[in-house]
Amino acid sequence: MKKICVIFRHSPTGNTSSREGLDFAMLSASFEQEVSVVFTDEAVLHLLAGQQPELVGSKDYLSTFKALSLYDIETVLVCHDSAKRFGIASSEFNFEAELASATQIQQLIQDANEVVVY
Amino acid sequence: MNKFIIQVNGTVYGSTASFRALRFTESVLSLGHQVSSIFFYQDGVTNSSALICPASDEHDLHRAWERLAKEHNLKLVNCVSAALRRGVLSEQDAQENNKTSANASNHFVMGGLGELVTGIEESDRLICF
Amino acid sequence: MILHQVQTSATVDNALNCCLRYIDDSDSILLTDDALNCLLDKQWQQRLSNYKLYVLIEDIEARGLSHRLPQSTNISIIDYDQFVLATLQHTKVITW
Repeated sequence: MKKICVIFRHSPTGNTSSREGLDFAMLSASFEQEVSVVFTDEAVLHLLAGQQPELVGSKDYLSTFKALSLYDIETVLVCHDSAKRFGIASSEFNFEAELASATQIQQLIQDANEVVVY
Repeated sequence: MNKFIIQVNGTVYGSTASFRALRFTESVLSLGHQVSSIFFYQDGVTNSSALICPASDEHDLHRAWERLAKEHNLKLVNCVSAALRRGVLSEQDAQENNKTSANASNHFVMGGLGELVTGIEESDRLICF
Repeated sequence: MILHQVQTSATVDNALNCCLRYIDDSDSILLTDDALNCLLDKQWQQRLSNYKLYVLIEDIEARGLSHRLPQSTNISIIDYDQFVLATLQHTKVITW
């Protein structure tokens, strides 16, 4: 068992990076790895409700983020500074996630066995 | 001796990430370390297309992977779902999806993300490009 | 002690900024591909001056930058064998 931290740093629409990162995160968790997830930079936009990616020809994978806890992914952190920068309050989060300081995220990164960025 | 797993996310043409992955893998092997597998994910799956035809004076990355794999008995693994989405199909994928032709090289095997995860678990280092 | 690999230009992608937000003082950064171009920029030189930096010799020579990079003690110019060694001297590698 390894501690794997998956960092999302790209916006949800306009690229497929997060979708493939999410697949990796869930698969790692189902293979009994200890997975944690971080949203930083524009990836904090994943937390917003009311998105309709199919309107621009993308798959709606966002609802899958709600299933993270079903996969035993308990640590889901959102970069406080990025959320603030894009004007998103934690009360608006569309799925279970916690605001975290850069120091908290840094600690998570240091503690992980592997860190992958999508 | 250490065991590496190499993950290639960069496209075969238009980025130098795959080239760096190749050069890094060559060095890992020449230094006597082990490579558990090379896992192609995201745009990295384009490295496995046997239809890549660079001009004769250009570097042929696809060929270089094949050669390296043959020489060192390396495992080149494509993430099958990433490959299907990008039009890289094995014979079997082509049949199953009613396509008239396949283009994935026989030197690459189609696998799932599970192989990446087990590879990470059994390796000392994961290096992504 | 993490080795952070940044592969994209700082003028195109936020990867380097993102890496710097979470970097620890004992970590190092490997600037590959166009990520190394920022070393020509005085502001970036200053921002990165406290970190141990690695740059691949092939990336430098491919860009004709051999005589243009700053002569700083915190910058190590390495080949691929040294790149492999650096990945083992650090606890893990993060590619941003």
